[in-house]
Amino acid sequence: MSIEPFNRLVKLTARAFYDDFTTKGDNQSKSGRADNRGIAVVVLDALTRRQWVREENLAKDLKLHTKQLRRTLRFFEEEKLVTRDHRKETAKGAKIYSAAVAATADGHQTGREGEEKVKLHTHSYCCLDYAQIYDVVRYRMHRMKKKIKDELDDRNTIQEYICPNCKRRYTALDALRLVSPEDEYFHCENCNGELVAEGDKLAAEEMGDGDDNARRRRREKLRDMLQMFEEKLKPLMDQLNRVKDLTVPEFGTLQAWEVRANAAARSANGDANSNDPSKSSQAYNGTPMPFLGETKVEVAFSGVEDKGSNIKSENTSTPMKVLPPWMIRQGMVLTNEQRGEVKQESNIEGTSTAADLSEDKKSVDQKDDKNLQDEYFKAYYAALLQRQQEQEESIKVEQESFNTTEGSSRQVGMKAKREDYDNDERDENVEWEEARTTGNTSSTFKVDLNVEADASGDDEDDIDWEEG
Amino acid sequence: MFFHIVLERNMQLHPRHFGRDLRPKLVSKLMKDVEGTCSGRHGFIVAITGVENVGNGLIRDGTGFVTFPVKYQCVVFRPFKGEILEAVVTMVNKMGFFAEAGPVQIFVSNHLIPDDMEFQSGDMPNYTTSDGSVKIQKESEVRLKIIGTRVDATEIFCIGTIKDDFLGVISDPTS
Ligand SMILES: [Zn+2]
Repeated sequence: MSIEPFNRLVKLTARAFYDDFTTKGDNQSKSGRADNRGIAVVVLDALTRRQWVREENLAKDLKLHTKQLRRTLRFFEEEKLVTRDHRKETAKGAKIYSAAVAATADGHQTGREGEEKVKLHTHSYCCLDYAQIYDVVRYRMHRMKKKIKDELDDRNTIQEYICPNCKRRYTALDALRLVSPEDEYFHCENCNGELVAEGDKLAAEEMGDGDDNARRRRREKLRDMLQMFEEKLKPLMDQLNRVKDLTVPEFGTLQAWEVRANAAARSANGDANSNDPSKSSQAYNGTPMPFLGETKVEVAFSGVEDKGSNIKSENTSTPMKVLPPWMIRQGMVLTNEQRGEVKQESNIEGTSTAADLSEDKKSVDQKDDKNLQDEYFKAYYAALLQRQQEQEESIKVEQESFNTTEGSSRQVGMKAKREDYDNDERDENVEWEEARTTGNTSSTFKVDLNVEADASGDDEDDIDWEEG
Repeated sequence: MFFHIVLERNMQLHPRHFGRDLRPKLVSKLMKDVEGTCSGRHGFIVAITGVENVGNGLIRDGTGFVTFPVKYQCVVFRPFKGEILEAVVTMVNKMGFFAEAGPVQIFVSNHLIPDDMEFQSGDMPNYTTSDGSVKIQKESEVRLKIIGTRVDATEIFCIGTIKDDFLGVISDPTS
């Protein structure tokens, strides 16, 4: 099950239909910022990189006003692209969500979770509804095409008839009065002349050139429209066909999703995540600590039944610990986005990975199980490199390298620094988003640094100094 | 579309019916007067299903007729634009064909018949596909879509199309 073709579908849809969507009635309408066209695209794109997300957090990430975002989301809810959930939240409920977010390695608030003040008021969450998006887009395309075609074929138009003698006009609704017992034509009530259907040659002549030209121009316009439709929306059509037989990614309801994400996190926590800063959130969640120590590989399997084969291959061929499925998926997505750059950078030193990120829409066909492991490594190296750069930039290089093997508090500190770095470097929302995602993933993968240190040390000379 | 609604009507009854059978007389007269009629507002009254209430009669000066306000339940049939109906073809000519769905007359003009069906004149005029597999003639049953209605005070006439998915002949009288 891959989410990537569906994300591409969402992105294409956003650009095809919601490109010029604006939220009206903004107070700032006098300034140039009032023109927020493209906001729909930004929001939808951001949602493709998330699962369930609290709307305030999304607004923060996108540097949008909450109201503006909410208006956009309400619009998408009406358009049936997005499902939303609102609930009055107790402190505990919020924590469950935060934990779930941390578990998906997707959330951006892992770092500040501690500071977040949870209040007892309504929070809104949103999430893409892929199954429905597929149906809605398909239906929309169908309706568009049908409408143009119907117009072109003169379908659903009421035929008009005209008497060539006295020019009297009739419509098909008069048909009952016009039939004659003698022959199979309609006859004029006035002069008993034989009526001709308007649009036939004779009628066209009678009507004169002007009218005929107008009709012909109209038909030409419609034909152009149909052609434009076919051309411009071909990528979207293709994507719909590609997605047709794939399993639709489902996150379920907010509650179900939280439960699943947390359960998966718990099963994986025992080994792989021993140094993960995000793990601290699990403690909030009341996961019994002794349980963590005892976790075995089998436990992880039970959490990830459907992805069993993927995990297995990864598990048996490397000393790496089992990762939960959502983590792998995130890794893959990112790796694909970084693919080109990553290869380059294993040789070249000192260029910024994040800067090279682009919102490319790669085709997803290339992804298969065999690649999984490679992908993972690439992501891992990319993460390593990035971390290295950050360390170079930071003043306490030595301290950093000294403390790599230490506890999570150190790494949380690093993460905060990374976020600052990101903020400085990128002002534009979209790219900043990407950068953030990368930053987070690297922090997730960082976990394995220690586990994998000796293995990677052989391939990468650069890393050696880190261990020393 | 069919509806089950309550209508009201003032019935005039001749004094000769005043007696034990007044009410049955009233009801049978109501049925005779009303069933099969058409009003632009409610459509065709197909059948009366019950009398809800008969009000107090009012004697007319001079004639001795009595007017009763009667409330009755009935099934009405009102065609709508966009509705899909099944109808029986009643007449075929060069301009198209006429069909009936119960009390409603529908005309399908030839430009709303699929392009691959051609008119064949003769004893039994019909529209036929080039391979002869589909034929529309008198008594054929067709499924059509209403694209226009003319609703007068006492008459409803429709025009339809069979030029769309899943429309057209559903049963052939010859087979
Ligand atoms: Zn005439």
